Amino acid sequence: MMLLRRFEIHQPSNVAEAVQMGAHFGEQASLYAGGTELLLAMKHDVLRYKHLIDVKVIPGLEAIELRDGMIRVGATATHRSIERSALLRSRLPVFTKMESLVANVRVRNTGTLGGNLCFAEPHSDPATLLLVLGASVAVEGPQGRREILMDDFFAGPYETRLAPNEMMTAIQIPLPSGRWRSAYVKFQVHERPMLGLALALETTEDGETFSRARVAVGCVSPCPQRSAAAESLLTGPRPEIERNLPLAAEALADSAELIDDQQGSAEYKRHLIRVFLRRAFVKALEGS
Amino acid sequence: MKHGEFRVVNHSVPREDGVAKVTGRAVFTSDIRLDGMAYAKLLRSPVAHARILSVDTREVLRQPGVIAVLTGSDLHGIDPYYGHAVKDHPLLAIGKVRFLGEPVAAVVAEDERSAYEALESVGVEYEELPAVLDVDSALADGAPLLHEMTYRTGGFRGFDDPASTQPGNICQRIHLEWGDAGAAFTSAAHAIEGEFFFPMAYAYAMEPYVSIADYNDAGLTVYSSAQHPFIVRNDLAKVFGLALNRVRLIVPFVGGGYGSKSYTKIEPLTAACSWKTRRPVKLQLSVEEAMLTTRNDDARVRIRMAADREGRFVGLQATILLNTGAYAENSPLVARRAANRVIGPYRIPNVKVDCYAVYTNTVPASSFRGFGATQVTFPRESQIDELAERLGCDPVELRRKNLAARGESIHSGLRPLDADLSGDLSMVVEALTDRPLPKGHGRAVGCSASDAGSDPVSSAVVHVYGDGSISVVMGSTEMGQGSHTVMQQIAAEEMGVAIERVRVVSCDTAITPFDRSTGASRSTTTMGRAVLEACQDAIAQLRNMAADVLKTNPGNLVLERDGIAFQKRHWRWQDVLGEFFGLPDCSIIGRAYLRKAGDLALLPLFWEVGCTGVEVAVDTETGKIHLERLITVGDVGLAIHPAMAEGQDLGAATMGLGLGLYEELVYEGQQLVNGNLLDYRVPRFSDLPPQVDLLLAENRDGIGPYGAKGGGEGSLNPVPASLANALYSATRARVRRLPLTPERVWGALTGRTPELPNSFGSSGVRPQEKDIGR
Ligand SMILES: Cc1cc2nc3c(=O)[nH]c(=O)nc-3n(C[C@H](O)[C@H](O)[C@H](O)COP(=O)(O)OP(=O)(O)OC[C@H]3O[C@@H](n4cnc5c(N)ncnc54)[C@H](O)[C@@H]3O)c2cc1C
Repeated sequence: MMLLRRFEIHQPSNVAEAVQMGAHFGEQASLYAGGTELLLAMKHDVLRYKHLIDVKVIPGLEAIELRDGMIRVGATATHRSIERSALLRSRLPVFTKMESLVANVRVRNTGTLGGNLCFAEPHSDPATLLLVLGASVAVEGPQGRREILMDDFFAGPYETRLAPNEMMTAIQIPLPSGRWRSAYVKFQVHERPMLGLALALETTEDGETFSRARVAVGCVSPCPQRSAAAESLLTGPRPEIERNLPLAAEALADSAELIDDQQGSAEYKRHLIRVFLRRAFVKALEGS
Repeated sequence: MKHGEFRVVNHSVPREDGVAKVTGRAVFTSDIRLDGMAYAKLLRSPVAHARILSVDTREVLRQPGVIAVLTGSDLHGIDPYYGHAVKDHPLLAIGKVRFLGEPVAAVVAEDERSAYEALESVGVEYEELPAVLDVDSALADGAPLLHEMTYRTGGFRGFDDPASTQPGNICQRIHLEWGDAGAAFTSAAHAIEGEFFFPMAYAYAMEPYVSIADYNDAGLTVYSSAQHPFIVRNDLAKVFGLALNRVRLIVPFVGGGYGSKSYTKIEPLTAACSWKTRRPVKLQLSVEEAMLTTRNDDARVRIRMAADREGRFVGLQATILLNTGAYAENSPLVARRAANRVIGPYRIPNVKVDCYAVYTNTVPASSFRGFGATQVTFPRESQIDELAERLGCDPVELRRKNLAARGESIHSGLRPLDADLSGDLSMVVEALTDRPLPKGHGRAVGCSASDAGSDPVSSAVVHVYGDGSISVVMGSTEMGQGSHTVMQQIAAEEMGVAIERVRVVSCDTAITPFDRSTGASRSTTTMGRAVLEACQDAIAQLRNMAADVLKTNPGNLVLERDGIAFQKRHWRWQDVLGEFFGLPDCSIIGRAYLRKAGDLALLPLFWEVGCTGVEVAVDTETGKIHLERLITVGDVGLAIHPAMAEGQDLGAATMGLGLGLYEELVYEGQQLVNGNLLDYRVPRFSDLPPQVDLLLAENRDGIGPYGAKGGGEGSLNPVPASLANALYSATRARVRRLPLTPERVWGALTGRTPELPNSFGSSGVRPQEKDIGR
């Protein structure tokens, strides 16, 4: 890591202005929120920008609110503010618990959820959980506003489906009904997680059958992945599902394009998926 | 244990540097700004081994703010090769580069950012050469040579073994032998053999390398975060052809060293930038650059041990291959130490050890806390537990049976053991077994012995002022270990003054007398003794002065804590001085010069022993190990400052935890791929065990002041092995390669053989392999 090269910071007063600035400076500019990823990459000289557009000064963009049965987390809400949000703690505790284990407190204090998702670093905790929570993101660009499902958001490592000069304004999470049980588990040795696994199961009234299941694994491959095959193996009567867990883990691993990297071999990651799917299952159903 | 006779030493007084450091007022090298100071940044080689065909500096000189650019071909007029052991290290690559990351050019500019931004305008053309990236390929027949020439030896090798005369990439060879190991193995009841790998690691200090040089008509002044200022001075004097009194090394507080700041690092290059520009120049590296500057020697060790029917060790044989990287740095001495330290604190009648330091096209390796001991304690202590299982006995008992007693020889030709390791072991075992072992947990102990202290050459000056205040002037560097406080305590104890009345002046080679180095756990022992003797020298002078003033025989004066008594009247030192000189404020100087003579003639000065115990919990599904308990024994003779002695042990053991479980520099091809703190995993507070017992053994059996001896490395050395042994005791999984990552542990648990890199014998003849193989 070296010094930062010279750059200029611009502070837009609203989203439209930020979008405009982005269009004006083009490739020479980047949006800049907490800077925990961006500035690090610039210090390592893997990214260079002459202009940074500081989105965290845009008023209201950090708000966390409940609107029409939908949790809306502003793109510049920090991990720390999410972790401590009373609303989220009571309505979506699986999310605040996951957030409380992101990075370290300094990164959480500065880093934003929008920055985490838009950087599309493969070792993201929120990305994996948001996939099973059925979230979508609100974006705004020169062409106006649109929504993108989390399922469609990632295009590859460090790549999203945001169009040039589009920015994320919020993350929207439908409030799950009382029948959903969910858990997020992760395994970590290094600074970033080696594996993150999210599971959500919709139970029938008696709690003995799972009518719907969503499962995703992150960090082990270029993008977090859901697996339709695994989800169908996790739908049905509880005893059968318990038996199916190893098969579901295999299906999830198959969908995830496991790779050997510094964090571990593909074989080990496959094994971890087995271990952590079971742990997530137990955790999700704890107390029910 | 308190030793009642002491007033200041053996008490955990407030640290001399404590307030300055916690309030942020302490001055480190990077805080210093000289008038007209310029800044240097380095262009580093993108390839591991290449000839430099040309360097084009025309463009960079046109960049804003740039003052000068220095390359390997601009060094006429100075002697650009330095090295205290082998003068093989050019201060900038000359003609060829030998590792990826080697400095090729330095750009000096008015400010740091301009220097940095200009770097990419330097055009360098390389012709790549085949690179040798590991010990095996470096030793292979016809391997490309890193160094085509032979070099002069440096002035501070620190050991007697001659430089390698073998052609090829062997930087140093050490052979150690007594008894008849071959015969011992033939007739032994039990023998066990194995191969171990200790990884490449970085001694992370919060302060990366930094120095400021000012070359002018008066000579060269350098501020640097250097552990060994006097040895750096030697290198600089030789590079620039200056007299010693023209080279001035000033060392402010050092932000951690752990061996990584021992010997000369970036000082010659910084000084060359100033020499070229005639401006003061600052060079400050980032952590990532520091990781491209030094590391430890990673080690492959083949070892076998033999025991008789009663479990007495009868033989030890080892071949140690150290990957030394591109330049010798301190690896020749590390090789010597590794060979000495593989034996441990045991009585072994037949020993044969061969150790090789081998050049490769990787970051140069050098000192690292423990100094070869960590690399070799892991295999030996692992193997002792394996042997215990073979013998069907308890690993603690096997150690107890073989530990040398105090006064017994463990290494022919060296000082007999000066510690009671059996006593230390009992302390560890008692603490470790004070409750039943929870299910799924494992525990283990480990021991080590290091020939420590280096050469006993240290000098100190003590000023006694007319108002009774004292200054201690000495060259030990304060790098967090607390040496300033220890010296202050010793002077306060000896002179009978309050500790606040003692000031420590260090280190400025224009003022402070010679000290060999701050390292090898030596300062409390050697410099502490020099300070004590300097105080006694001052007291002897003051006594004579008092006798002179009182017109009596010195023998009639009664020495008291802070002065003398004569005919019922008490004279404090300042009273004596005032009376003697007849003016206020006058002062005298007490001094002491320690050298290898008298009771300091026999090396090592002391054995730095280690004895640790750990308890671990293992998640057998993931392979993740968690340290649950840690027990250390600081066998320091007398703890001059008990809290700091304990702090050293906790820090050392935490470093052992890092090496045992997390830390490894990883090369993929020519490239170091995790050379940054996001990817290189150092231990964190959350990794510390819930229960830690830091015990002190104060038997006053050291050669230092009041029977003290050094600490700070001992509690590091056995920790990685203890972790591996505790893992085995919990799970029956034996891992012979560090760090014990979850994946490696899982591999061992599931019967996947954890691979050793470049296994012995995988490519042709390995030196001495025939001797150790069957
Ligand atoms: C030491 C460390 C440990 C970490 N550990 C973890 C971990 O355990 N788990 C985990 O999930 N993450 C981890 N992270 C990642 C961390 O969560 C992110 O760094 C952080 O959330 C990024 O947010 P930011 O506001 O700092 O983004 P910035 O660095 O400001 O921006 C990142 C990228 O997103 C773009 N961007 C930012 N905001 C927007 C927006 N509104 N619209 C469009 N583009 C935008 C920027 O242009 C930039 O390209 C870690 C990071 C560090 C440095």
